[in-house]
Amino acid sequence: MLLDFSRLGGWRVALILIALLVGAYLLLPILLIVALSFGSSQWLQFPPPGWTLRWYEELFDDPEWIASFLTSFQIAAVVTVLSVLIGLMASFGLTRGTFRGREALRALFLTPMILPVVVLAVALYAFFLRLHLNGTFVGFVLAHLVIALPFSIIAISNALERFDRDIETAAIVCGASPLEAKIRVTLPGIRLGLVSAAIFSFLASWDEVVIAIFMASPDLQTLPVRIFGTLRQDLSPVIAAVSTILIALTAALMALAALLRKDARS
Amino acid sequence: MTVTDATTSTAPHAPSASSRRAARGFAPVTPALALVVFVFVLPVLALLLRSVLEPQPGLQNYEAFFASTTYLKVLGNTFLVAGTVTVVTVLLGFPVAWFLAIAPGFWSRLLFAIVILSMWTNLLARTYAWMVLLQRTGIINRTLIDLGLISGPLPLINNLVGVTIGMTYIMLPFMILPLHATIRSIDPTVFQAAALCGASRWQAFTRVMLPLTASGIAAGALMVFVMSLGYFITPALLGGTSNMMLAELIAQLVQSLLDWGLAGAAALILLTITLAIYLVQLRFFGFGQARS
Repeated sequence: MLLDFSRLGGWRVALILIALLVGAYLLLPILLIVALSFGSSQWLQFPPPGWTLRWYEELFDDPEWIASFLTSFQIAAVVTVLSVLIGLMASFGLTRGTFRGREALRALFLTPMILPVVVLAVALYAFFLRLHLNGTFVGFVLAHLVIALPFSIIAISNALERFDRDIETAAIVCGASPLEAKIRVTLPGIRLGLVSAAIFSFLASWDEVVIAIFMASPDLQTLPVRIFGTLRQDLSPVIAAVSTILIALTAALMALAALLRKDARS
Repeated sequence: MTVTDATTSTAPHAPSASSRRAARGFAPVTPALALVVFVFVLPVLALLLRSVLEPQPGLQNYEAFFASTTYLKVLGNTFLVAGTVTVVTVLLGFPVAWFLAIAPGFWSRLLFAIVILSMWTNLLARTYAWMVLLQRTGIINRTLIDLGLISGPLPLINNLVGVTIGMTYIMLPFMILPLHATIRSIDPTVFQAAALCGASRWQAFTRVMLPLTASGIAAGALMVFVMSLGYFITPALLGGTSNMMLAELIAQLVQSLLDWGLAGAAALILLTITLAIYLVQLRFFGFGQARS
């Protein structure tokens, strides 16, 4: 009755109406940004009086925007590699290890994901001040690694738990060394977990803004820090252009993830 | 816990081969453990310690926090916004999750894609959109004036109204997705049973559907509430200076006032509330619910 769409009666109308409204609420702001980024109005008039690529030109002509794009990308790339490597090792230990306190350790590794990030940001700012790591590439990578690692551990642990360990044992029985079996049998078996660990780790660093605001120096700013700093001053349409590029990247990663899921099912 | 702790704590009990096997698999965990200890646990503990050590040892920072009407108002604002956002996301998220679970393929897939796209879109991009929409000369105010519904622009930004609208937008997917999983896991035959017993739709809803989804609603609500309590970016951009939330206060105490003792105290208060709510969640809904 309540789970059959065709037999909901009058309730169906209410459900459709709310779904329509919430769908519009979630989608329209995103479409608005895309439209404004091509609109010719400096004051973000909507509908735009005309269309232009001017904001994209301003964006790509500004070496500081380009620099912050590159900084964000480099940090996120290094974080992704380290997060998948460290996460892979930790996941092996957590799913296959026999030492005591594994559940507590797992909970500890996941804590950075649930605690308010502003607390970590302020704490790291004070800590890195003493180590002279604020405003450095190493500081950014270390801080973002802590945020990214939980995503990696969740994705890879889940894949490892689903992986049939007998296949790895069979490879060893057939003469492979334990390490060889892990590299040539287990890693390909959990590749979907590794890829989603990489995607989530990349996004965790790429989108991270609170820690980055505290960590940034005038010379080393990630893209979100630059957007935040600009937004504090004015609502320039250049931000709409940056946002549109970020939305396109998100949509591309979503499509990739969807393709992988399809691939996994077939 | 360090590597040496682990080995010395097991060694005295039984130095035999079986105990060495019992402690196997610890080595690969050490890089992650070192990272989390040095870049997470120690810095956070150091910050919290400063709340009882600076400017001199004692609880004066906590006394100052709870004696100040300004700081208590910040705490009140934080709970007010987090509470409102939680209630609105439940009221809007439940019907949407329900629709997603039962609507015909195309429509539910389309709405699902919109929810995911919104959730994954950069937080600053989404907040920027709301800054544009809510400003004095923004689209919402101009449309309302053009329609003759209001005579002057409504104050929608730089106050708690703006923060609440923006945060509801950001939190909705975190309510919709777990609720969707909960509703999908209901066995449809329970409603056939309810119908056979003569229950009306309303009775089936209040006596069957709500009880079956109550734990999912509670889990989603606790998650949204906790995330809202510690939010920084959206309140900082959509809120005003006279109506701060707790996370902004912590940032400001450090950045402008350099009052590390008070910042540590505010951080400990935020962490305590957050952890308390997570413990409630674990106690009553278990790990499974929290994860799903």
